[in-house]
Amino acid sequence: MNELQFLTWVRGTGLNIAVVVFLLGVLWRLLEIYSLGRKKDLSAPRHVPGASGWHTVFRRSVPPPGMLKRSPVSYIGGYVFHIGLAIVVFLFAPHIKLFQSLLGLSWPGLPSQFIDMTAVITMAAMVVVLVDRINKPVKRFLSTFEDWFTWAVTFLPLLTGWLAVRHLLLPYTTMLAIHILSVEILLVVLPFTKLFHAFTVFGSRWFNGQANGHKGVQV
Amino acid sequence: MTISNDKEFKSKLGGLSATQQRQVAARFVQRVFGLSNDVRVKAALEVAMRPEISDAELTVVSQAANSARVESFTQCGQECDWTAQAGHFVAKAAVACVSTAAEPDNLAWDAAMQARMARICETVATGAGTENSEAEEQYQILDAFLNQ
Amino acid sequence: MSASLEKGVRVLKEVIDAPIASYFNSCVHCGLCAEACLFYTETGDPKYTPIHKLEPLRRIYEQEYTLLGRLAKMVGLSKPVSDDELEEWKELVYNSCTLCGRCSAVCPVGNDLVYMVRKFREGMSASGHAPADIIGAVNRTVTIGSPMGVKLPAVKAQMKHVEEDYGIPIPLDVEGAEYMVMLSSMEIINFPEYLGAIAKIMRQAGKTWTLCSEAFEATNAGIQIGNSDLARVIVSRIVDGAEKLKVKTVISPECGHAYTALRWEGANLVGRPFTFEVKHIIEVLGEFQKQGLLKTEGFETDRLTFHDPCQLARRGGVIQQQRDLMNQVAKNFVEMPDAGYMNWCCGGGGGASAIQDGEELRLEAFKKKKSQLDTVKPDRLVTACANCRIVLEEGLEHYQMDIPVVGLTEMIAEHIQESAPAKSEGA
Repeated sequence: MNELQFLTWVRGTGLNIAVVVFLLGVLWRLLEIYSLGRKKDLSAPRHVPGASGWHTVFRRSVPPPGMLKRSPVSYIGGYVFHIGLAIVVFLFAPHIKLFQSLLGLSWPGLPSQFIDMTAVITMAAMVVVLVDRINKPVKRFLSTFEDWFTWAVTFLPLLTGWLAVRHLLLPYTTMLAIHILSVEILLVVLPFTKLFHAFTVFGSRWFNGQANGHKGVQV
Repeated sequence: MTISNDKEFKSKLGGLSATQQRQVAARFVQRVFGLSNDVRVKAALEVAMRPEISDAELTVVSQAANSARVESFTQCGQECDWTAQAGHFVAKAAVACVSTAAEPDNLAWDAAMQARMARICETVATGAGTENSEAEEQYQILDAFLNQ
Repeated sequence: MSASLEKGVRVLKEVIDAPIASYFNSCVHCGLCAEACLFYTETGDPKYTPIHKLEPLRRIYEQEYTLLGRLAKMVGLSKPVSDDELEEWKELVYNSCTLCGRCSAVCPVGNDLVYMVRKFREGMSASGHAPADIIGAVNRTVTIGSPMGVKLPAVKAQMKHVEEDYGIPIPLDVEGAEYMVMLSSMEIINFPEYLGAIAKIMRQAGKTWTLCSEAFEATNAGIQIGNSDLARVIVSRIVDGAEKLKVKTVISPECGHAYTALRWEGANLVGRPFTFEVKHIIEVLGEFQKQGLLKTEGFETDRLTFHDPCQLARRGGVIQQQRDLMNQVAKNFVEMPDAGYMNWCCGGGGGASAIQDGEELRLEAFKKKKSQLDTVKPDRLVTACANCRIVLEEGLEHYQMDIPVVGLTEMIAEHIQESAPAKSEGA
C-alpha cells in the first residue's frame, strides 16, 4: 500500500470504523455504568443554597482550599493540557472542516499560528505531567500500563498533527495519514480506558455533589 | 453545725483559701486512692497536702497527674472496665487538687465530684447499684477539717 | 474459596451501584486524594492513597460489571480477590482510614471515596476481615446495648451523679417530651459533665427533654465496621424508643459517627423515613442561640481554637453553628488553618481509635493536627466530639503539648446565666 492509499483508507474506512466503535463504545459504557442505579436516600435532606450535584460539576474544577500548593503540577499541568487539547481539536480550521463533514456543524476557528503555539504548549504540559507521574511517589505507585498507554495515545495525535502541519519528519501525506490513524486509535480506546473520564466526570461530580448537598455541604 | 447537704458543702468549700482547698481535696481523693494506685496520683496528693508549695513543684506533679488522667481514658469502642475507669476519675480528681490555674474556682468541689465519680464506677463494677455514701463521707471530712 | 470470602464478595457485588461504577471509571490516577489524606501526608507512604485502599473492590467491579472485565475473567486473565489480599487490606481500610471524607472533597473527577470505603467495609466485615477490636464493639452493642458494655444501671449512676453535681433532675422515659437526648458510651464513661451541661441548658431554654432507658446509646459501631444488618439493629432501637416516647426531635450527642449513623444512614437502614427529626446537639444549641434562648454571661478570655469533628462539619453539614456559639462565649476565638469543612481529622474516627495496633500510625498522623495547632498557638482547644477529645488529648500528651481540650456544650453550659436565688440548687 502506498502513502496515498494509506491516507485514503484512514480517511474513509478507518475513520468510519473508529467513529462507530467510539459511538457504540461510549453508549455501551454509559449504559453499563449508569444502569446500575442507586438506592433512594430516605434521610431528610438539608437544603443549603449552592450545595447540589450541578454546583459540584462546575465547582470541582477549582482546586479546594489548600490543595493547589500540595500539587501545583497536577492542577496547572492538567488545566493547560486539557484546555490546550480542546483548543487544538475544536478551533483548528482543518478539524472544523472535518466536524462539518461529519455533523453538518461549523464554527469559527483560531489563526493557525496560535494553534501551532497551543499545540506546543500542550505537548510541553503533557511531558511535564508525564515526568511528574514518574517522579512523584504516589503517582508512580498508582500507575499501571494503562496510564502510560493512554498518555501515549493522547500525545501522539498532538505530535503527529503538529509534525504534519509543519511538514516535518516524514512526507506530508504519510505524516497526515499517521496523524489520522493515531486519532482513530485514540477514539477506539477512549471508551474502554481511563480516558472515559471525559464522559463520567460529569456523573461522578454530580453524584458526589448531590450526596454532600443532601447534607448541606458545598463541595 | 454539721454539713448535711451539697449546697452547704459546696459553699463552705468555696470559702476556703486555695491552699486549704488543696488540702481538703487531697483528703477526698485519699479515700478513693485505692481505686487507682498510680504513683503520679500519690505524688500529686502528697504535694497538695503541704501548706507551702512552690510553683515549680506544682507544675511537675500537675503534668504527671494529667498524664495519668489521659492514659486512663477508655478508648471509644473498647469494652469498658469500670474498675479501671474508676482510676481515671481518681486521676482527674488529683489533677483538680494540683490545678495550676491562677485563680482556681472551687477546685475542692471539683475534686470531690470526681472522687464521687470514681466511687460510682466502683459500684457499677461490682454491680452494687448506684447507691454509695461517698457524699456523706466527704461532708464528715470537711467538718473535721474545719474544726481542727 | 472459603464460605466467608464468598459471602464477602457477594456482599461487595451487591453494594456496587452506579455512583461506585462511575467513580472507578473516572479515576485517572492523579494521586490528589493522597494529598488530602493525613495518613499519607504525615507518613509519605503511598499505600495510604485513598483510591488504593479500594483496589480489591475495583477488581470485583471490573470482573463482575464490565464487559471486558467479565471476558477477561472467563479466559482466566483476571486476578480474583483472595482472603490473603483482604487480610492485607485490613490495615488500609480500617487503621488508616477514619472515614473523614477529605479525599471525597478534593478528587478532581468527583469521586466520593469515603462512600466507597464505607461500602467496601461491608465486604470486609462479611468476609471476616474486620479488626477484632471493632467486632467486639459491635457485638457488645447488639447484645448489651452499648459498644463499651454500658448498661442502664451505669447510666442511672451517672444520672444520679449529675443530679448531685448540678442540682438538676434528669428525666427518664418521659412521654411527649420535645427532645430525646442520646448519649454515647464515651460520654457516659468519660465525660459525665456533658449530661449536666445538657440539663442546665435545657432548663434555661425551657425545653422538655428526656433520656430513654431502652435507647440511650447513640454510638453505632455497625456503621464503622461496615455491617448494615447490625447497624440496623442499633438504629431500630432508637427509632422504637423515639416513637414510643412520641418525641419531636432526637438529639445526637457530641459524637461524630453517632450523628452520621442516625441522621444520614438511619432511615436508609430501617427502610423508611423517620417520623421525628434528628439533630446534633450543636445544631440544637445553634437553634436556641438564634431563637434567643441561650442566655449566657461572661466570656472565656484565653486564646481558643476549634477542631471540627469530621462527621459533624464536612460529613454532617454542621459547620457554622459551632463558630457562632464560640463567639457567644469567647472573646479570643481564632481559627486554625483549614478550619471549617476542610479541617483535618483527629486521626481516631471511624473505629480507628479502638484498634490497638493502629496506635503508632495514629500518633504519626496526629502530626497534621499538631502542625495546625503549632500555627494557631491556642491556649485551649475546643471541640464537639467525645472521641476527638480523647484522641486529641492523647496526641497532645504524646507530643508534650500543653493545650487543654474542652467540649463546646460544656463550655456553653458554664456560661449559662444562673437562675435567681429563690430557686435553690442541691439537696
